[in-house]
Amino acid sequence: MKIYTYGVIDSNSGIEDSNKGIEGAHVHNIPYRDIGIAVSDLDERYKKNVNPDHILKHEEVAERLMERFTVLPMKFFTIFKNKEEILSMMSEYYDSFNENLDRLRGKLEFGLKVIWSGNTIKKRIAENNTGQGQSELLSNGSLAQNYVMEKFEKYKTDRQFKEEGHKYISTVNRFFSGFAVEEKLNMLKSEGLLLTASYLVEKAKQDDFKQAFERLKKNGPNDLKYLFSGPWPPYNFINLTKSEFKKV
Amino acid sequence: MDNVMLKSKDVTLLEILDRVLDKGVVVSGDIVISVADVDLVYVGLKVLLSSVEAMERLRGAPFAGAGEEPT
Repeated sequence: MKIYTYGVIDSNSGIEDSNKGIEGAHVHNIPYRDIGIAVSDLDERYKKNVNPDHILKHEEVAERLMERFTVLPMKFFTIFKNKEEILSMMSEYYDSFNENLDRLRGKLEFGLKVIWSGNTIKKRIAENNTGQGQSELLSNGSLAQNYVMEKFEKYKTDRQFKEEGHKYISTVNRFFSGFAVEEKLNMLKSEGLLLTASYLVEKAKQDDFKQAFERLKKNGPNDLKYLFSGPWPPYNFINLTKSEFKKV
Repeated sequence: MDNVMLKSKDVTLLEILDRVLDKGVVVSGDIVISVADVDLVYVGLKVLLSSVEAMERLRGAPFAGAGEEPT
């Protein structure tokens, strides 16, 4: 029997969670000093059984914990051999866990993905840049000249494409300024995915934050699509520094 | 374009996957037993594929650009 971990919480007492965890196992707290870690027993057969339902269950337990505690959700399928090894890990990371719990207390994460017509925009920019100069070059220039020119055209297009993206992102992000404590923005993970953003929001301000999104939908650029999600446990805002990882 | 707030299972899974697979508390060392890569790839791929389909439906067009389509 192994132990499956869901999240570190700011409580060392029983969590009295009647709902079940992965594989229907009882979720309980393993206390360490003034904090704890929510876990459940896991059968040895887990290796054969990992499926999307486990992911949903992991998240479901983390969200239930989030209703009552400050929670640092564990990465999916972080498993330990026994309680002693969990306590050893808790001792190793105790300071870092405490810092994170303090910083994230009373806060939630929201996610925003912004989709744009990247293909069309890039094509339009490339067409504007190329014009008729390209065809002249192809017929008159040497192979090397054409190669350099093509590279330069591509560089110019890419740069303008990113600039265009930045303009949109800054417009979108302006709607949320003042409502989030921290933010993580990832631009153009793919050509069509303009922005992947995570926002850390105070619980007391979550309605304001949701309203900010409603305003974005209503008044923001009308050629974008949005995937808005949350509230989530603060997966994207946990900072465990490397030095705290080491135990000599 | 219509703006949307999605609650479909596929997109929910995609959002969850974005978080739980490489975010959160990541502890390293031999005390952690990781799931075999094959298992995770299986989970990720299956979920991601259905999520991409969902996003394509949402977007109203395939993600692949015209230049990538077979001629």
